[in-house]
Amino acid sequence: MIHYFAFLKKELLESIRTYKFIILLVVFAMFGIMSPLTAKLIPALFKTFIPYAESVLIPEPRALDSWAQFFKNVSQMGLIVFILMYSSVVSGELAKKTLVNMLTKGLSRKAVILSKFTNMVIIWFLSILSSSFITWGYTVYLFPNDKVSYLVFSIFCLWLFGVFLLSLLVFASTLTTQSYISLIILVGSIVISMLLNIIPSIQKYNPLTLSTKNLELLQDFVNPSYFKFIIPITLTFIIIFLISSILIFRKKEIR
Amino acid sequence: MSILQVEKLNKSFGSKSVLSNLDMNVPEHSVFGFVGQNGAGKTTTMRIILGLLKADSGSVSVLGKKVNYGETKTNQDIGYLPDVPEFYSYMKAAEYLNLCGEVSGMNKHDAIKKGNDLLELVGLSKENRRIKTFSRGMKQRLGIAQALLNDPKLLLCDEPTSALDPIGRKQILDILHAVKSRTTVVFSTHILSDVEKVCDHLAILHNGNLVLQGKLANIMRKYSVDGYYVEFENSHDMDTFCLEEEIKIHKLEVMKDLNTIKVFMNNFEEEKHLLLHLLSQKKITPLKFEKIEPSLENLFEEVVK
Repeated sequence: MIHYFAFLKKELLESIRTYKFIILLVVFAMFGIMSPLTAKLIPALFKTFIPYAESVLIPEPRALDSWAQFFKNVSQMGLIVFILMYSSVVSGELAKKTLVNMLTKGLSRKAVILSKFTNMVIIWFLSILSSSFITWGYTVYLFPNDKVSYLVFSIFCLWLFGVFLLSLLVFASTLTTQSYISLIILVGSIVISMLLNIIPSIQKYNPLTLSTKNLELLQDFVNPSYFKFIIPITLTFIIIFLISSILIFRKKEIR
Repeated sequence: MSILQVEKLNKSFGSKSVLSNLDMNVPEHSVFGFVGQNGAGKTTTMRIILGLLKADSGSVSVLGKKVNYGETKTNQDIGYLPDVPEFYSYMKAAEYLNLCGEVSGMNKHDAIKKGNDLLELVGLSKENRRIKTFSRGMKQRLGIAQALLNDPKLLLCDEPTSALDPIGRKQILDILHAVKSRTTVVFSTHILSDVEKVCDHLAILHNGNLVLQGKLANIMRKYSVDGYYVEFENSHDMDTFCLEEEIKIHKLEVMKDLNTIKVFMNNFEEEKHLLLHLLSQKKITPLKFEKIEPSLENLFEEVVK
């Protein structure tokens, strides 16, 4: 545990001093500001720039539109930016040889994997928290009378999906020596999940659903019990990826 | 007693054999020069000792404890300075040593105190900049500080001076000299003059095998040769001298470009006078007349031939 906390502290310091944390915070804060604003302004812009729009019935924007923008931005652009930032989370340190001194000081390889993963989970949590908080505040301000269902649970689902991807990223980065190969593995896994999600009976067990049913939750079309299998399955995958990463990393030669 | 024992070590990278049946014993409290050409397998040996690389076969023990690949228990007795130490460039030297201290299992107070003492030893105590602004020599000195942080019983230094300028080299050698009373040092290098300066034991690695191992003084004695360098003013003098019957009976090595010959002698005390007499007889005034001192370079050339 001493190794884990010492290395986690180093990981957090690295995220701060290499500006990764601040960049992510700014990007996610931007999503927080843009989501309600886009929802509010798009109908007005539509009417201004498209002449025949007057004759088209454009519905009044609602809080749901603001959250739709939020989930779209965070689950797509947000996750892409986050993963690109940490794409070489393990392989990068091996390539730079900065781990040699640490490992020869007795640092356990398990602590390396777990602290890197924890650091990303913390920053992912703070990023999504800042973005959701700003979106929430702005949405309440712009659409004071609108209500949505299961908001916190819906955001939790997206966060958990992010954690799942981060565990997969750690696994891929431990397995390979190049960050682009980690990204290929990650994208390949998402594509496979998307293809599997075409089959309705699989959706209830596919971690990808954590990032696709958020709006349905807000509209009360599905309720949290829908996720009773997905959440344990996702947690199991996360644990499997982490244990596999530790086992692979233990056998990895450090040249 | 041996602090480090390497037995029948074999390692290949693909089809290339790097170490073949390597046996090595490092006595406690020695400064052990581990010499070999680039690519001889010095770094590979060190990384196997540290459990960072997996040996194909053979065993390594540190203080009697077996080194297992991928485990770090035996590293608690070892300090390691890589050839090009890499650090977290966004940290300051003191922060880096604190992290090393925490990872080594030291308590915070001890880590800070020890870190400050070591920064003083390596001349970095006043540096408050981030490591990314450090010169190569400063990084090497910080590397030594991190290697000594856990008071290692065995310090492995992998070519610590090879990339440094003369001042940086001297600083590193001075530090190694200062710590040799407290720890056994294994010092890999291809710079033979550095070995002569700090080491008392020597091992020469060639083609993945130790071709020579022992106390430096004994080895130098054993491999020393008696003879003289004679440098002539011109090639004519040299040729004339070499044709003399009295000279022909000696083993000679002619360095034509330098107008110099090496004259090897069996009976040094008597023959050196004959040599001088012959020069005087032929009215040849040499530019240089110098005794061949045993040198590690000659020895190295001899054993890897």
